[in-house]
Amino acid sequence: MNRVLLGQYWPEESLVHRMDPRVKFLLSLALIVAIFCAATPASLAVAALFVLVFYGFAHIPPLTALRSIGPLLVLVLFTALLNVLFVQGGEVYFQWWIICVSEKGLQSAAFIAVRLLLLLMAVSLLTLTTTTLDITAAFERLLAPFARVGLPAHEMGMILGIALRFLPQFAQELATVYRAQVSRGARFTANPFRGGLQSLTALMVPLFSSAFRHADTLSQAMDARCYHGGTGVTRLHPLRCTWRDAAGTAAVAAMFAAVLVVNAL
Amino acid sequence: MRLEFQNVSYSYAGKEAERTGKKRKKRDRQAEWGNSPDARWALREVSFAVEPGEFLGIAGHTGSGKSTLIQHMNGLLHPTEGRVLADGADLARKEVATEVRARVGLVFQYPESQLFAPTVFEDVAFGPRNFGVPADELEERVRESMERVGLSFDELRDRSPFSLSGGQQRRVAFAGVLACRPEVLVLDEPAAGLDPRSREDFLAMVKQLHAQGTTVVMVSHSMDDLYALATRILVMSEGRVLRLGAPEEVFADGDALTAVGLGLPAPVRFANSLREANFPLPKGLHSEESLASAIADALEGSLHE
Repeated sequence: MNRVLLGQYWPEESLVHRMDPRVKFLLSLALIVAIFCAATPASLAVAALFVLVFYGFAHIPPLTALRSIGPLLVLVLFTALLNVLFVQGGEVYFQWWIICVSEKGLQSAAFIAVRLLLLLMAVSLLTLTTTTLDITAAFERLLAPFARVGLPAHEMGMILGIALRFLPQFAQELATVYRAQVSRGARFTANPFRGGLQSLTALMVPLFSSAFRHADTLSQAMDARCYHGGTGVTRLHPLRCTWRDAAGTAAVAAMFAAVLVVNAL
Repeated sequence: MRLEFQNVSYSYAGKEAERTGKKRKKRDRQAEWGNSPDARWALREVSFAVEPGEFLGIAGHTGSGKSTLIQHMNGLLHPTEGRVLADGADLARKEVATEVRARVGLVFQYPESQLFAPTVFEDVAFGPRNFGVPADELEERVRESMERVGLSFDELRDRSPFSLSGGQQRRVAFAGVLACRPEVLVLDEPAAGLDPRSREDFLAMVKQLHAQGTTVVMVSHSMDDLYALATRILVMSEGRVLRLGAPEEVFADGDALTAVGLGLPAPVRFANSLREANFPLPKGLHSEESLASAIADALEGSLHE
């Protein structure tokens, strides 16, 4: 599989890659808030500039970033289209039947599209620069304080980790089963009137039975390695905050300040 | 049916391979054996033909392009460059591929993982039904193919395939392909993960199918199996054809095979080490029986001296 999947890890040796995953996790949340705070086109442009700079520090070519959110671009376009159609006001450029393209509609469409794009890029910056193992660890550690009130932080982290780990595996198995059934003359179609559901069972039943098989094997393997939950487990590479994290936090803080200042102008 | 590969290249990145591949850095591209997972071409300039009636063995290290190659044989994958012809018709055309799938049966690795139907009968009948075999002929087809793989039709037809043992499940999956009555049977590691007994049974079954006129293409890691069964052997390395010819020819050049991470069949290896130890063996004796009698002759000769 050579395609870059949605937010798939992009191996590099950059400042951003080597930041503490917990800090990255929180900072990407901050990034999202900052993008939401940008209320004018000018401040949104400032936010976009910062996001691009962050991608530069992560050594990820912007095109790769765009491609990694590829399937979601449809969502962006769809939202933009809705805005063009339903936000009215200002000069009217085009009118036909109930369709009316106006100045305000185009403006708000562009604004929303850029904002959504930036949000997606902010989230995928986290997943592009952090291995799933690190994301899981960060998730677990950040939830740990809530363990006192009975939240199973470790278990939730484990579930997330296992789910992420098996996604590509199942995608691959699905592809294999698909090819095997096509070799036996199956024609897959989503059309329910032409046996769409029935042909789907030929894909889903093997997939589910293999998921259960994997679950069995995995739980046995965990048992064999004396897995007993999260208590007393230490990490080989403990998460540690360094100057990079301080720099990253400062950069996001600067972005916040810049966005708010430009907002107020 | 004759399947001809004309200068076939395939890249999982599709047409993009040519554009993006050049831009990317070259470092870490070369794997020690086979292809590195992000190499540009999974197949490169592959030309050969599967002749009607032959038993073609395909060998190669993991990632050398074997699985990619066999998926071209019934149009699951289409070449990025070059053509695959089935009796002269281009497999890249959709209607040709659909027609060829009924005549080229492809058995994937661990085929038991594709079972899905509530009963064994339904699963085996899935293929023929898709290919438009009339309902009154189905039962006969299912019975025939199940008996061919050594399963009792009457006992198992209404059982759930998931309640069977692993070995039996594989037989059911195999029967599911045989029920389509393919002219060409393409097998990807059919004996992988089976116990020695089932393994023997399975290979004997394949041998019998070939003897009855089915063209067989078999991918295997076991040089002994290929040596014992195949009439021709194709060795893949890094997506290219490294060797193609009769088993004797291919295995004569042991160094080339070990260089790409493959072994030699046991009798060939044994004969080679005997020769290294200056044991007087005539040239070109490679099967187990002929090697044994050659050793016996040589020993007798030295006794008489």
